[in-house]
Amino acid sequence: MQFIDANLLTIIITLPLAGALALLFVPKEKTGLIKNLALGISAAALLFSLRLYFAFDAADAAMQFAVNKPWLPDWGINYRLGVDGISLLMLMLTAFLTPLAILASFNSIQEHQKAFYASLLALQTGMMGVFAAMDVFLFYVFWEAMLIPMYFLIGVWGGHRRVYAALKFFIYTMLGSVLMLAAIIFVYLAHKAQFGTYSFALADFCGTAFPLKTQLWLCATFALAFAIKVPLFPFHTWLPDAHVEAPTAGSVILAGVLLKMGVYGYLRFAVPMFPAAAQSFAPWLALLGVIGVVYGSLVAWSQPDMKKMVAYSSVAHMGLIVLGIAAFEPAAVSGAVLQMVNHGLSTGALFLIVGILYERRHTRMIEDYGGLAKAMPGFSAVFMIVMLSSIGLPGLNGFVGEFLVLFGSFRTYPWLSAAAVSGVILSAVYMLGMYQRVVFGPVTHEENKRLPDLNAREWAYMLPLLAFIILIGIYPAPFLRKIDAAVRTYVTAVQKPESALAGERGSHKPQATNKERR
Amino acid sequence: MNPETASHFMRSLAVPLTLTAAALAALFLPMIAGKDDARPGLAVLGAALALLAVFPASGPDSISLFSGALTLSPFTNYLWPFFLTALAFTVLLSLRARGGLPGAGEYYFLLALAALGLMLLVSAGELLTVFIAVELLSVCLYALAAINRSPAGAEAGYKYFLLGSLGTGMLVMGIALVYGTLGTLNFEAIQSALPFSHPSSLIPHPSLHPLTSTGFIFLIAGFSFKAALVPFHMWVPDVYEGAPTPVSAFMGAAVKAGGILILYRLYVLTAGSAQFREIFWGLAVVTMVLGNLMALPQQNLKRLLGYSSIAHAGYISAGFFGGSEGLKAVLYYLAVYALATMGAFAVIAAVEKDERGITVKDLDGFSGRHPWLAGAMAVFILSLAGIPPLAGFFGKFYVFTAALKAGCVWLVVIALVMSAVSVYYYLRVLTAMYMEKEHTALHARPSRAMNLALILLALAVTALGIFSAPLLRLAQAAAIF
Repeated sequence: MQFIDANLLTIIITLPLAGALALLFVPKEKTGLIKNLALGISAAALLFSLRLYFAFDAADAAMQFAVNKPWLPDWGINYRLGVDGISLLMLMLTAFLTPLAILASFNSIQEHQKAFYASLLALQTGMMGVFAAMDVFLFYVFWEAMLIPMYFLIGVWGGHRRVYAALKFFIYTMLGSVLMLAAIIFVYLAHKAQFGTYSFALADFCGTAFPLKTQLWLCATFALAFAIKVPLFPFHTWLPDAHVEAPTAGSVILAGVLLKMGVYGYLRFAVPMFPAAAQSFAPWLALLGVIGVVYGSLVAWSQPDMKKMVAYSSVAHMGLIVLGIAAFEPAAVSGAVLQMVNHGLSTGALFLIVGILYERRHTRMIEDYGGLAKAMPGFSAVFMIVMLSSIGLPGLNGFVGEFLVLFGSFRTYPWLSAAAVSGVILSAVYMLGMYQRVVFGPVTHEENKRLPDLNAREWAYMLPLLAFIILIGIYPAPFLRKIDAAVRTYVTAVQKPESALAGERGSHKPQATNKERR
Repeated sequence: MNPETASHFMRSLAVPLTLTAAALAALFLPMIAGKDDARPGLAVLGAALALLAVFPASGPDSISLFSGALTLSPFTNYLWPFFLTALAFTVLLSLRARGGLPGAGEYYFLLALAALGLMLLVSAGELLTVFIAVELLSVCLYALAAINRSPAGAEAGYKYFLLGSLGTGMLVMGIALVYGTLGTLNFEAIQSALPFSHPSSLIPHPSLHPLTSTGFIFLIAGFSFKAALVPFHMWVPDVYEGAPTPVSAFMGAAVKAGGILILYRLYVLTAGSAQFREIFWGLAVVTMVLGNLMALPQQNLKRLLGYSSIAHAGYISAGFFGGSEGLKAVLYYLAVYALATMGAFAVIAAVEKDERGITVKDLDGFSGRHPWLAGAMAVFILSLAGIPPLAGFFGKFYVFTAALKAGCVWLVVIALVMSAVSVYYYLRVLTAMYMEKEHTALHARPSRAMNLALILLALAVTALGIFSAPLLRLAQAAAIF
């Protein structure tokens, strides 16, 4: 037990990858074994994550379960891991969604099953690593390595334009992250110039001081990489393609976890490392977020394709979350982090629902459905709860997050928050409209009369989602308590950027000599 | 000569002499045996290689042989095994292709001599030895490119010979001018004869004699031909396409390294002059930008890898600016780049029908029929693209960090953006293998030797990144001139 606790994060990160490698050696005809093995591995990872969740001390603001082992010591690169409340919730979300995504793929994936589950598990390792890495180099390695399995998931098991979507996803993300790599190396060298030691530790990066102008440049490259991932308007164009083409499990993971990495990047890296620059960028971030809310909602409204509608609604939801983290108010930031979880749950559930319909009818067009309430009553009930949670109905999880974000950011950005409210209203318009056209009304297509309701496997992955959607809606306090300390650290880091700028005089010199040497 | 130096002398020369003997054995044993079966020669060559790869050529200090013509140092301790390993892999790749063909003996003979040329090139202490080494290398390669006696091979050999001779001509011209103005060919003597190696307060920015400058420019141009930097790269795509695939692999992995390192030597000689740094800066940028852009539309995989090798030469030259830290990164990069390139060519060699190789389209649906070969190819391609956790990413990281440390911010930004661009053509290969429907069935019959090579290469490319410390330590020890 002690060994497990000391290496809990390492186990959670490496277990899925080890499982993926093990899968490669299972004969490909044994599809049942492959599926069960994949599910078992992700369930085991979930069990270890639960251990992490309950052992996590919410009162402690420091990084917990910290690991720090030399990896490439000459370069100051260490295997540094740790979790605070924000990381913890993201890890839990990942650990929770992956088995559900695997379970949801049992029927819909018929080709290259072994490779599919291996990719999903490898992806899980990447995601877990991103949320637990406390070494910027290690973070970058996970951040980039994750692209490979996601590229395969979209490109091999996706829809008609899957190749285009997969390439676009990969190259778009890559363009953002290579510039971030340049900035990372720049900060690393500046740290060496100021402190005399090489280190990629996040804490050391945060302690490196820059004049405001340099900070603005560096922060901009980080912000760009994360904005592409979120995605913030106008960097969102890869998202509808990727979502529409990806298989259901890919969409669930993409919307549920990958998009959160962008926001997580702001919370963990861009803002604490460059607080002064972040403060001057914050209004622009908030503005882009709100544009995303309004624009995403309007575009979602006009979509005839359910999956595209959910994809654009993601743009809107993520915009709201960015507004929350740019407000630097404890309530707004807490709400944003909680909303990240909520969005993962409800949008993940929405993609699963679209997947359930697609498996039955092989179409995602709203007009092809109608009157499903008769044939699929259980499904319709589940769909309603999920849809209401996505709209933000009080009593369900979405409300708590959206309310906290809007409430908190109103003090910082009254006008932008007011505009963001319109997005919430719009989401009700298009979601209710879609639900009405799909579930109610007369049956316009004969096939829809005989559609089977949810089967046991589908209930098995929808029920846990519903449980959390309702639980967070009624009683969010325990989750908010877990992130409280981390949110406070984040907010205070920004509120005193003067201290970060204090080193400006000292850091001017190394900058100048750097230029001369060139 | 005291006894210790004498023993050094013997030990150091044992490596090239054994290689020469093995090469001769590969040439003559089949003749003596009376049949065109090159296997005995190969066995000898293989054994010699295995022996040499572990043979420590010299200790940690440098020794100078033949009045400075050859310098054996930790630098050569790193590179000789590097070239020998490249040769060993090339031999492994060639076994199926060359087994029964006529001229197999000559083939291995030429290959070994080309490797010998490379070893001489990096240990040369003065320009004349450099020239002899370059010629030894080039003449062997001209013949190797055309050794299949096919139209494509003949075209490759002819083009390579013509453009290579142009490069050689520039080298001779450069050597003559440098000798004419400085009166010496020895690198150390040249270094101390150059005005900026003695900074004085009287002349704050000493400049070179115009003829010396011209000489160095000719030298840089000549070696840029060998290292295939833009705009001296025109021969690369045709030669890589037309030459037998194992030869292309050898050129991409080993010859490229030789060219880069001799250019590095020139960079060090001229680094005191801002103009020459500008020249190298420009070469690096033009090479990485154009190499990548020209790779984008390529259909033939061997041509694509050719252009990719040009682009990589551009990235590597960014490391020149980083001092000894940069050289360390360059040496690491060269090794991991060589492994990945060798691997990618090995996969082509395993499936191709003739030496023209395959197009990207031929690979459509390749993973269905050959999952392991496709997996290995994916590892090599992703490493070339610089995606972590594969070794190529670490190479790029080390080189760009060294360049950034020297203040080359824009160079690194351009290099990083270009490596994002390069992802497009690398991913085309993966897309074809994994996401397209099969339409031409490629029948791969990799020999056992080829399988061994592929496994070793794929493991190395996977492991040398995450566990790059040992290789870096070797590179660190070698990164002193």
